[in-house]
Amino acid sequence: MSLTDADLVARVLVDDDQHAFAELVRRHQSVVRGLLRQLVRSDVTLADDLAQETFIRAYKNIRSFRGEAKFSTWLYRIGYNVFREEARRRKELVGIDETQLETQRDPSTVDAALRHDLAHALQTLPVHERTAVVLCCQNGLSHDEASRVLDIPLGTVKTNVLRGREKLKKLLAAWETK
Amino acid sequence: MGDEVTPGADFELDWLDRKLREEADYIDDAGFTAGVMQKLPARRASRSIRAFILICAAIVASGAAYLLSGGGRFIFEAFARAELFSPLTIFIAALAIGFVITCGAAYAALRRSEAL
Repeated sequence: MSLTDADLVARVLVDDDQHAFAELVRRHQSVVRGLLRQLVRSDVTLADDLAQETFIRAYKNIRSFRGEAKFSTWLYRIGYNVFREEARRRKELVGIDETQLETQRDPSTVDAALRHDLAHALQTLPVHERTAVVLCCQNGLSHDEASRVLDIPLGTVKTNVLRGREKLKKLLAAWETK
Repeated sequence: MGDEVTPGADFELDWLDRKLREEADYIDDAGFTAGVMQKLPARRASRSIRAFILICAAIVASGAAYLLSGGGRFIFEAFARAELFSPLTIFIAALAIGFVITCGAAYAALRRSEAL
């Protein structure tokens, strides 16, 4: 039987077990890197640097994880804070690197065009709506979990998700019937 | 497996949500975890080393206190005074000390379980 996230966190806390922390990184690296790639508009290198900083910060502050939320939610929150700090530092968000975006795509994917349009449409959303949509619609967080990650009121999350989805649907209206 | 990211239950999935989730491909680790592990701060001293340091410090401090107090004369004096106490007083004192230690241990255990 494999260990739960809580078991692994306990091992890190009690024994400073770095193997347990490595397992946590392996489990969650994909979602954290995916979220940050969406937030920094697909600049893969920057997103991975921020993801690395996210996990290092999580390790240093693991004692502050109280287990009230899922470990992944706690990680999202750290990742989002790391992203905000970086955005503040740079003053402006990084633009889309179309070349990088294309190299990550599998050209054999059936919906390549839709995927491209979807990715592009997501990037046109303001960061607060994009973040809410990515967290709730793409990564499956509840509105309540997203409000804790983003540290904003529940109602604001709902509004951001609703507006973001409406804009996406409008931008991708041509695909809806296909 | 660990705690999986479960679909949010705040809205029904429609074509947009399905496409968004399809878009969230699994990102291959490709050395990411190894990179993070290399950059982690050095491990704190292991528990056995920390225990050894604490015991050594306690022995040194006890030795210093013994020497500075004139060969532990105050201990003999304290025992001599304790002989004057009634058995009931000694029992109550022992009970009080035991209670304080138990409370301290229970508090520490609760703090630790909260942290987990």
